[in-house]
Amino acid sequence: MLAGHPVRYCNANPSSDGLAGSSRSTVSTCISNAARSSAWSARTGAARPPSPTPITGFYPPQRGRILLNGRDITGLAPHYIATLGVARTFQNLALFNGMSVLDNILLGRHIHMKPSVARTALYWWLGRRDETANRAAVEEVIEFLQLEGVRDELVDVIPIGLKKRVELARALAAEPSFLVLDEPMAGMNQEEKEYMARFILDARDERGVTVLLIEHHMDVITGICDRMLALNYGAMIGSGIPADVIADPRVVEAYIGGAHGAH
Amino acid sequence: MLFRQAGVFHTNYAADRALFPIAADRWMIGILLIIGLAAPFVVNSLYLSSYLLPLLVWTAGALGLNLILGWAGQFHLGYAAVMGIGAYATVHANKAGIPWEIAILIGGATASIIGIGFAFAALRVKGLYLALSTLALQFVMDWTISHVPAISGGTQATLQAPDIRLLGQPITSDAGLYYVAFVWCILVTSFMLNLRRTALGRALVAVREKDFAAAVIGVNSFYFKLVAFATSSFIGGVTGAILIGTFYHAVTPEQFSVDVSIQALAMVIVGGLGSIIGSYFGAAFILLMPGAMNSLISWAAIRFGFSLSIETLAHLPQALYGALIIGFLLVEPLGLGKIYKNVRDYLLVWPFGYVKK
Repeated sequence: MLAGHPVRYCNANPSSDGLAGSSRSTVSTCISNAARSSAWSARTGAARPPSPTPITGFYPPQRGRILLNGRDITGLAPHYIATLGVARTFQNLALFNGMSVLDNILLGRHIHMKPSVARTALYWWLGRRDETANRAAVEEVIEFLQLEGVRDELVDVIPIGLKKRVELARALAAEPSFLVLDEPMAGMNQEEKEYMARFILDARDERGVTVLLIEHHMDVITGICDRMLALNYGAMIGSGIPADVIADPRVVEAYIGGAHGAH
Repeated sequence: MLFRQAGVFHTNYAADRALFPIAADRWMIGILLIIGLAAPFVVNSLYLSSYLLPLLVWTAGALGLNLILGWAGQFHLGYAAVMGIGAYATVHANKAGIPWEIAILIGGATASIIGIGFAFAALRVKGLYLALSTLALQFVMDWTISHVPAISGGTQATLQAPDIRLLGQPITSDAGLYYVAFVWCILVTSFMLNLRRTALGRALVAVREKDFAAAVIGVNSFYFKLVAFATSSFIGGVTGAILIGTFYHAVTPEQFSVDVSIQALAMVIVGGLGSIIGSYFGAAFILLMPGAMNSLISWAAIRFGFSLSIETLAHLPQALYGALIIGFLLVEPLGLGKIYKNVRDYLLVWPFGYVKK
């Protein structure tokens, strides 16, 4: 186990290997160093471990507990976990259609604002200051992710590469301490992947965010991750520095295939 | 030509979030406000009290329903029941000697509390099931109001509403009643306009669009659905009370029956979900179109010299009115508000249509 990582999965009922549970939905190991990005890679084509869902509270794990900075967050409601500094993006995008890019990113500030009927009805006296202050914070993120050009566009009409960036912006606007990126490179071309990789590194270095990256692209993993954990059907088959993990024969067998099929 | 965005430069974030950043919009709103204020002096009192006044009150009602339907995306088939609760509560509070200004707030609060209580149960289901549960609210309220003499004043009874008094001054003139409705409509409209630029409005839209994504950024869906129900019920309750105070002057259960709920729903859908100006158009369409159709057909019958049987004359306007609703929704499913927006977007770049806003 690594010391000083914010999120820790503890298996209440450890199986023989001590870390991985036998059930696919029991994700049981520790990941990520403080202010370090790490990759969590799973076998392509196999059922992915539902890693972001238990952390963010959508499905509680069948076994074990999830600790965030030492605090047990197992079974807490997703909207409450968000207030503890956990943000995530979705593999298939979950932006709010019918709203502008700006409003989508402003929604990322939700946990820092106090939405109320009074602040809406008496906007000029009660709401404006708060809205303006949070707008300034959002503009910082917009500048950081170079989204100025599409700020006022409807989120439905921008290209997918930008949509992924808007989702990252919405997550970063919440000023999380722990950011889960679920396949942020899915469906992107090489150039868009390079942009995204740069933004993830900047988020880590400039905003001090710990990033958990779930990713299949080996070039991205070896290029930007500090720690890597390889899973095969929910069981951990390797962890450590990415270069070492991808050289592990078990990882090679799971991801590329073993020798038994060769003639 | 009319609308120009070029030359609108913001120097701070508050100005960027102004309600009407484009000068042409501000002019139009100003002119509309002046027309609204001057109406009692130019429009004859029949038109004022039987067309304009109910139009304003129903617009406020449609906006309240739009809050829950268009913003929060939750079905509500019992909106008339909510208005009825507000109306009865206000009349009873007023009869008990509470000043009218406070009585309408009591009416709104009562509607809000019953609405929340009901929403607690109803919001456990979604979509069509929620629609049916809200329909249950309608029928439960219909039954309760007509079967509890303490509320309705007895079976088939009509409860006379006391005259409106503002700060002790009785308001009985057509102009006075019109201004009461006018002010309420403006208040509700400005609330809805602000909703488009505050955290509350964004949270409601987030709940409507994707509740799982809303949860991940910290939006408590259930809480915001409750807030939407409470606020919308409050607006509905006060609107019901104002409808009674300024228009009907007496309250009976039939004024808030299920047909009225459907009518309110039609206003919001024909006008456009989530559209403020759409609620104005929708209320006008649903309230005025049947009468207008009727006059048009009678006029055409005389003008072109064909005779219509009484039966046809009674049903033809209804049929045409229905066909018009279907026609509008086929052309633009997002309602009259969207049609207005399309025209406005066209004018924003006219004559350089290739810019396509």
